Amino acid sequence: MSVNYEQILEALWETVYMTGAAFGFSLLIGFPLGILLVVTRKGHLLENEPISKVLNVVINIFRSVPFIILMVAIIPLTRLIVGTSIGTAAAIVPLVFYAGPYIARLIENSLLEVDKGVIEAAQAMGATPMQIIFRFLIPEALSSLVLALTIAVVGLIGASAMAGAIGGGGLGDLAITYGYQRFDTLVMFITVAILVVLVQGVQSLGNVLSRTVRRS
Amino acid sequence: MIQFEGVAKTYQSGKQEIHALNGIDLTVETGEIYGVIGFSGAGKSSLIRTVNLLERPTTGRVLIQGKDISTLSSKEIRTIRKDIGMIFQHFNLLNSKTVYHNVAMPLLLAKTPKADIEKQVKDLLDFVGLGDQAQKYPDQLSGGQKQRIGIARALATNPSVLLCDEATSALDPQTTKSILDLLRKINKEYNITILLITHEMGVIREICDKVAVLEAGKVIEQGSVFDIFSNPQQPTTKRFVRSVMNDELPESLLLQIQNAKSSNAIYRLQFTGNSVGKPFMSRVSRDFKVDLNVLFGNVTELQGIPYGNLIVEFSGEPSEIGRALSSIRESDIHIEEVNNYVS
Repeated sequence: MSVNYEQILEALWETVYMTGAAFGFSLLIGFPLGILLVVTRKGHLLENEPISKVLNVVINIFRSVPFIILMVAIIPLTRLIVGTSIGTAAAIVPLVFYAGPYIARLIENSLLEVDKGVIEAAQAMGATPMQIIFRFLIPEALSSLVLALTIAVVGLIGASAMAGAIGGGGLGDLAITYGYQRFDTLVMFITVAILVVLVQGVQSLGNVLSRTVRRS
Repeated sequence: MIQFEGVAKTYQSGKQEIHALNGIDLTVETGEIYGVIGFSGAGKSSLIRTVNLLERPTTGRVLIQGKDISTLSSKEIRTIRKDIGMIFQHFNLLNSKTVYHNVAMPLLLAKTPKADIEKQVKDLLDFVGLGDQAQKYPDQLSGGQKQRIGIARALATNPSVLLCDEATSALDPQTTKSILDLLRKINKEYNITILLITHEMGVIREICDKVAVLEAGKVIEQGSVFDIFSNPQQPTTKRFVRSVMNDELPESLLLQIQNAKSSNAIYRLQFTGNSVGKPFMSRVSRDFKVDLNVLFGNVTELQGIPYGNLIVEFSGEPSEIGRALSSIRESDIHIEEVNNYVS
């Protein structure tokens, strides 16, 4: 095998770090956007056609660019934010641009599942739009939101593997440089196995968490 | 008091305009139970939603205690909504929260101190008979229990008006009755004005003081429940009344009457209130030379007043029948020839 265990561990750490950091920032961007997507809809709490239209177009644009191209396309912006376009930190920027709009859509989906009647009941008791969002919409959707975010994390793990292309490191990078380019099947096998375990773990955690928050 | 003045609601559906409400004029007095009945699509839900502005009237005004609510700011609307409780056909409870939390919600929104919330929620749950279910979740309860939670929640802010949106339509007859009993208790004990919409005439008969019949966005008939039930005018109203009163002659009897060549007179007699108790039949056949034969009938209760409805065949000399009829009329019994009634 052309790599040692330290390298594998380091790559695993890079993957976890990239995924975790990107998820955190994506959530910060995606969550409010997801809520906005819902409440500015026609007939909803804060109906606002211009905001709704602009948001939808912008999110669709980001969602339609393949990650590998998005990564290259926003290099100048990445340089502006982290000072460099190479390395793990630099990989987080395109990951956020990729996952933020994705999370927004997932959150929108989950929140739309909440029974319209619950919102009506909230309005009838004189709740403010903010109270409706935070005391009715989000708690009622929480279980589904957790599952949706689990999907986002799994997606991010996959995308982070491509970040190797700009020197982002991580398990994907290891698999490509050693497993593929140097024909080291064992490295390929190990990295893929770790990714499988990682994704299984994340999904199981998401399932458990989703069940526990179903009732709060 | 809730007043509807020329309330109209028009929806835009593509290029088509849908007139859900076409100029509604209604007055709901303080402390009464007012029922609005109509088939689906008649505009009932739009109407009830104009009271707490979940729907805004396109034209016309809704006045609550004489105040036009359509001119209020969003903040004022939220304040007035706390004075108007609402319960729903599908309960609309938070499934992620306990029964306790659901009932506490309006108080949490109003930032009531925690100790007060605990006491009030306990009282409310005891009042609706679910004091021991506080820590359960809505999906662990039956439909009737869920509606009780909905009622407790609606009462949490101590409203003066309660809106019931098809509150018993998803419940079985027995549960419906228990919920209606609870609503009557609320009306009596707290003097809360209740406006309810329903498509079940049984609900109207059970608890309402007044009723309005809604059809195609218009009030086609309104009045006290007693008047509407004992003397419906419009075809739709008659259909609703018959759905629970069964005052229609059975097919077989109709045929029998139509085929009978006899000159016997058939009349429909309606008794109300104190005329029910009087033994008029034996008296009439004793005083006049007529025989009475009851073909069909029923006696029921409307708003606590007994109400009877009999189809009676009179046989004898026409002059005797005439005298018998006028004697019956004197004892507060309404008489109608069945031919009119049948047609």
